[in-house]
Amino acid sequence: MTVRSRPLSPHLQVYRWTITMTMSILHRATGIANYFGTVLLVAWLAAAAWGQQPLNLVNDIYGSWFGQLVLFGFTWSLIHHMLGGLRHFVWDFIIGMEAGQREMLAWANVIASVVLTLVVWTLFVWMA
Amino acid sequence: MREQVITRDVVANPKSVYGDKKASTRQFITQRVSGAINIAFLLLLLFVVVRLAGQDRPDMVAVIGNGWIGLPLAVLLVIVTIHMRNGLRDTLEDYFHGRTYSLYMMLNTMFCIAIAAVGVISILKLVFWG
Repeated sequence: MTVRSRPLSPHLQVYRWTITMTMSILHRATGIANYFGTVLLVAWLAAAAWGQQPLNLVNDIYGSWFGQLVLFGFTWSLIHHMLGGLRHFVWDFIIGMEAGQREMLAWANVIASVVLTLVVWTLFVWMA
Repeated sequence: MREQVITRDVVANPKSVYGDKKASTRQFITQRVSGAINIAFLLLLLFVVVRLAGQDRPDMVAVIGNGWIGLPLAVLLVIVTIHMRNGLRDTLEDYFHGRTYSLYMMLNTMFCIAIAAVGVISILKLVFWG
């Protein structure tokens, strides 16, 4: 199916940078990151189904400093996108769209995503 | 490739339609419903990863091989891939049109089917054959 082209405006070059604009871009960026991040989950599941040798390889890669860095970023990306989705649910009920409210929701989104990611990694990785 | 020249008048006209009205409403609802279900997926994923990160096959079989964990995980993973395909469609619609859009959309569908297939087959292997 073909679709007609959407109107694009040169908003990035014209308008002053806002937190709501940043969260909108981050929602799309984390969505795309999560899209490709599913490869990490499926590779792990497939390796486990395949046998101990492939699983060892995956565990070594994911356990390396670089693997841990990627998984930390993936955790934040998933949490940020989930909170962004919850924000959209709030907006669907025409709540939180007024000036001030939407900026507050946007800041809450980014702050909560960082805090939750740190809580998850502290509880289940660094203290475990 | 643009099929329609977007002018100021087109944008200003409230009756301008971009894309398919019926399909877009369906996709909007699909995205909301699957997104809500994905919260359950993330909670289950957190449980599975915390229990199994870095563990050996027998542990993986013990946890994911349990049908009460593995089968919901497989179903939720399929719903995730529906959400992924729908979400990337939104992005592709913004930047590509005509045949280029169709090509990327086909790649999108193939990627999501591959993720769902490999994930579900792997989980079913762990559940039914250890």
